[in-house]
Amino acid sequence: METSKQNWTGKISVATIGATDKEGGTRSSQVTVGGETTLPYLFKEGDIPNAPVIAMEVLDIEPTDWPDALKKPFGDSLKDPVKWAVKCVEEYKAPLISVKLIGTHPDFGNKSAADSGKLIKDILQAVKVPLIILGSGDDEKDNVVLAKASEVSKGERCLIGDATEKNYKTLTASCLADGHNIIGESPIDINIAKQVNILISEMGFPLDRIVINPTIGALGYGMEYAYSIMERARNAALIGDKMLAMPFICLVGQEAWRAKEAKAPSSEHPEWGDEYSRGVLWEIETAVSVLVAGADILVMRHPKAIEEAKKYIDNLMRR
Amino acid sequence: MEKFKVVFKPAGKSVEVKKGAGLLSAAVSCGVYINSSCGGEGVCGRCKVIIKKGKFRTEPTGRISYKERKKGYVLACLTTVEDNLEVFVPRESRLDLSKIKKGEARLHRLKGIYSETVEVDRGKPIISEEVFKHSPIATKVYLELPPPTLEDTVSDYERLTRDIKKKYDVPIMQTGLRNIRKLGSVLRHSDWKVTVTLGKRNETTELVIIEPGDSSGENYGIAFDIGTTTVTGQLINLNTKEILGTKATYNKQIAFGDDVITRIVFAREESGLERLHHAVIDNMNSIIQELTEEHNIPLDQVTGIMCAGNTTMIHLLLRVDPTHIRREPYVSTANFVPVVRSAEAGIKVHPRALLACIPGVSTYVGGDIVAGSVACGINNEKRLTLLIDVGTNGEIVLGNKEWMACCSASAGPAFEGSGVSCGMRAVKGAIEKVEINGRLEPKIKTIDGGKPMGICGSGYIDLISEMFKRGIVNRDGKINQDLKNKRIRKSERELEYVVVFKNKARSNYDIVIKESDIENIKRSKGAIFSAASILAKKFDLTFDDIERIYIAGGFGTYINIENAVTIGLLPDVDRKKFKFVGNSSLIGAREILLSYDTMKKAEEIARKMTYIELSKDPAYMDEYMSSLFFPHTNLEKFPSVKKAR
Repeated sequence: METSKQNWTGKISVATIGATDKEGGTRSSQVTVGGETTLPYLFKEGDIPNAPVIAMEVLDIEPTDWPDALKKPFGDSLKDPVKWAVKCVEEYKAPLISVKLIGTHPDFGNKSAADSGKLIKDILQAVKVPLIILGSGDDEKDNVVLAKASEVSKGERCLIGDATEKNYKTLTASCLADGHNIIGESPIDINIAKQVNILISEMGFPLDRIVINPTIGALGYGMEYAYSIMERARNAALIGDKMLAMPFICLVGQEAWRAKEAKAPSSEHPEWGDEYSRGVLWEIETAVSVLVAGADILVMRHPKAIEEAKKYIDNLMRR
Repeated sequence: MEKFKVVFKPAGKSVEVKKGAGLLSAAVSCGVYINSSCGGEGVCGRCKVIIKKGKFRTEPTGRISYKERKKGYVLACLTTVEDNLEVFVPRESRLDLSKIKKGEARLHRLKGIYSETVEVDRGKPIISEEVFKHSPIATKVYLELPPPTLEDTVSDYERLTRDIKKKYDVPIMQTGLRNIRKLGSVLRHSDWKVTVTLGKRNETTELVIIEPGDSSGENYGIAFDIGTTTVTGQLINLNTKEILGTKATYNKQIAFGDDVITRIVFAREESGLERLHHAVIDNMNSIIQELTEEHNIPLDQVTGIMCAGNTTMIHLLLRVDPTHIRREPYVSTANFVPVVRSAEAGIKVHPRALLACIPGVSTYVGGDIVAGSVACGINNEKRLTLLIDVGTNGEIVLGNKEWMACCSASAGPAFEGSGVSCGMRAVKGAIEKVEINGRLEPKIKTIDGGKPMGICGSGYIDLISEMFKRGIVNRDGKINQDLKNKRIRKSERELEYVVVFKNKARSNYDIVIKESDIENIKRSKGAIFSAASILAKKFDLTFDDIERIYIAGGFGTYINIENAVTIGLLPDVDRKKFKFVGNSSLIGAREILLSYDTMKKAEEIARKMTYIELSKDPAYMDEYMSSLFFPHTNLEKFPSVKKAR
């Protein structure tokens, strides 16, 4: 029996994160994502030149709502973001670090732009893998903090986010001036995803430096909704919609560990089983779902979950 | 024929009438309005008046007690004038419909609504007049009957109908007992020369009014478009088909909610239904009063009213409980409302005048869209036609003589100038045209050429399109703060663009467009465009398959199609396909008022039309979200706009 084949005309753009000294940066490695010409892992219909990448998440303040199961692998390094980043790279071999500047949020410490600028500089010194830099989600503050972060990392070709429909101009201008990639965020909505990309590109920003954050829900928290939005965006991109033809970044760790089922201690819910493996499984499950939906960059937390997700990626990539 | 003067107290108004004329219509003709919920049938007993001086003739009635009769009380509808009279109208008989409380009136103004009645464009006739045969809902006929002799002893009523049937093709006739009772005296008093008003009530012809002498030259009707946001009325000479004037006002019901659903909910509150009913009747009566006064027409010469409105508006107009409209399974009390007397609804014209409402398709598609389809002649059209009504309910009709389908998009009132900070209707002082030059300076034109007061729907279309073309707003409709210009500023945490500074305006404030106004217009245009897209898609059609597109709405005389395409309100197709028709619902109501035969066509359309419920279509929300961008998220759908960028 012959299976029918779809001939796709579109191609996902290729984004490169990190600049080596040859390109005016100081990174020792680069991460390249995107370039798909087929739906996830349908190698018969097209190519997937770059395997999905897992970035490890580092926060600029000591996490307060992480359960023991998640804190344990990092130990004391959680108190120092630079040490934390080094641990991720040296011990857990992270090819990419994602620094979330949550501590700059007015409700979580209100750290200054100068402080976080210094932190970014220090991390860039301490680790040589490329960086993702994420703001706190407070529009006004992000405009100052991310502009500073962009400035101090000029030439390193980081991936900085998130630009939203309501707040995209300052970040777009900074990333354009300092040579970074940008993340366009939309609230699980294919139309807004496209609209944000249009707004960014209309400021003269190259399409191949935009990455889509479609926003996701963890397993049990809207996973299937996120899945179908990613699937539809990919479909549209592959039939030629250039404004949706960008790699996806999915904040898997953040969403999975927000779930009550992932972080509740066994003492509260003995019937849910061992708390040390439950959260990890939740993160793996969430990661696997976004992978088969077409995710290109996954930002994750637990080393064990990352290890399993990597194995899964290797299997998927076996042609 | 002898004429007598009748003076009404305490109003002090007077009128000269022919001998034998009815007292109730004499009162109405000089603007004295007396309660008459039965429409002059002598049944309700609410038109009690006291005759102070002069001779009269009145019929016995159980509605007047012995005591009252002693004091000179009569029912105005059962009394005829035989002398110069002085009549006192007691308080309980005076009809006062201005019952909207002061607090409500204030709320009205707070919402930024100009609620006075204003002259609006009358709307162009769309199709050739030959299509509609002149057969108004009410026709006045002057008859000179042969007096009875010993050889011709036919009864008075048969004598009258014999003469009518000889001259006119009226197979089924009926009349009220009231007319029969007074027939003998009116005929004899007027020397067998009378004017009868023949009214069309569905298949039946009714002998509505009988008056002494010849008054057939004066017969008027009023067509109404009862919109959720705007009420428009048009005075028409039913004999000559001449349009005498058109007036509009914001629907006073806005004080109780902007959309039909909130009003239906409000109707459930204590005396809610009554207040909603009075609000719209008040609107209609003030329009009627201004139109008739301006043209010196006594109210009792208005014999027919034709209304087009959505189902909820018609329910409220007739004071019929609309509750079931919003409850599953969404059934209205009546989509095809029989012809009734206007007095029963509280409308101040001749008490026996007829009130007809154009039938609706379903609970959510009313007679306004049927009237619009009649006006555009979609039911006679071979070509595939689309009608887009840019109103609060954004009705859209697609089809031709073979088939018709429609849907309704909740567009909101922005294009009618409501819900936007400097919005107003397309009337004097409204900015209807805007161009913006390279220095971001606007060039405006108001409807009357005078100083501007606000911006109407077509003005907003031009304004946003020009701002978009000049880069003042981005594709999301946000104002570009980085442009250094005195017209771009931030007030109350919101960016705005100053269209006219107050020293150049008729208003005592700057005329501006705020980001939230643009957002409102964006939602309205998005709702309309996406509804039209989904409707076409349902039938596997694209906009290119459609051969003619009618644009309706209260835009006055002007809409810039190019700009409407630029903002994504209208599809990007050959501009020759577009035709702007103005208030199609009003035009339809007028055509049916003047040609009651057309009512059958309206009924046929109402039965034939398929209603597509957009909220049940999963593709609609997606298309709507996609339309919330200028001109659209998918620029490929607007090739001409893409090219221009």
